Amino acid sequence: MQFFMLKFFTPAFGLVFQEVTSGRFAVAWDKAQHPDLSKFLTIGALLFIIGVAGVLTRRNIIVIFMSIELILNAANLNFIALSRYLQDTGNMNAVAGQIFAVFVIVVAAAEAAIGLGIVIALYRNKETIWVDEIDILKW
Amino acid sequence: MILTGWEAVFFWVFSIAAIFAGLLTVMARNTIHSALFLISSLVSVAALFILLQAEFIAGVQILVYVGGVMVLFLFVIMLVNVGSEERGSEEIFNRPRQVTTSVIFCALLVAALISAVNAGYAGLENRDKNKIQTAAAQRLIRDKSLDKSATGASRITTDTQRMGSSLYRFASLPFEIASVLLLVAIIGSVMLARTLKQEAAVDDVDPDTLQKEVAHDLEPGEVQPKPVA
Repeated sequence: MQFFMLKFFTPAFGLVFQEVTSGRFAVAWDKAQHPDLSKFLTIGALLFIIGVAGVLTRRNIIVIFMSIELILNAANLNFIALSRYLQDTGNMNAVAGQIFAVFVIVVAAAEAAIGLGIVIALYRNKETIWVDEIDILKW
Repeated sequence: MILTGWEAVFFWVFSIAAIFAGLLTVMARNTIHSALFLISSLVSVAALFILLQAEFIAGVQILVYVGGVMVLFLFVIMLVNVGSEERGSEEIFNRPRQVTTSVIFCALLVAALISAVNAGYAGLENRDKNKIQTAAAQRLIRDKSLDKSATGASRITTDTQRMGSSLYRFASLPFEIASVLLLVAIIGSVMLARTLKQEAAVDDVDPDTLQKEVAHDLEPGEVQPKPVA
């Protein structure tokens, strides 16, 4: 039994050990310990997708507005990460990304104010916040 | 731009928090819960901004988004009646077929975006390899002479100052346009949210005319409202 285990399991353990210490897992672990620009862009992409999914699947118009806020926030994350990348690669005065993020926040605030005003007017007249019941422009 | 040590730990904590809070925003049954999860997602992203050494944007994010926009959202949620969704008598998602199509679309999009980001970043890294190494070496030399509390994300940057001066020097026209946009948004939302009575009071409409207008819009069986003073 001992011999059997040694003969068949040692190479497997060796393979796993090698894979953990020097294979793709090790590379991935090393990269995870040093997050760079691509990690920030990936997080931004995931937040964007979650926002898109919310816009496409929810019926509540207020939650749809919140998903739009998520999308805009993901765009801001990308702007700031790329601005930092430019600054760290020698372009010391690259703050255009941060300025753009400020404008995105301004436009998001205006959009939320107008959109919620429309929601209130709609609720007063139609008594509904479900987007599939708001169909007076349809036919 | 490579985070190390505790910064990397905080990066993972806050990014996972942001993504989970975003998912729960989309999936929560109670709209108030959605708004609160969105607040936690926004705060986590603000923490990521601090890790990127953009303190001004992080502060603006907390003040404007969490302090302003989300409070507006909460007020509107309390003004409209969403109890049916919470009690479970209303479906929170669209029809199953639409949801399936959307989820498939989003899965394709996420695969495409992540592969594009990785491929693009590999090219960018390859192009800027020398610059990244030089900047990292310079930063290492600079950080050696500084306190531990003055390195990395805890460093006080001059970005806010630089941003302010560039905003007024190179982007003053967009800045003014943004202020006009905000003014228009304020006026527009006030106009949209008025009731018929408030509208009549402000516009000096003759009560009889208004009565006729309202009666014209009514359904046959509906009760006529009282004349507006």
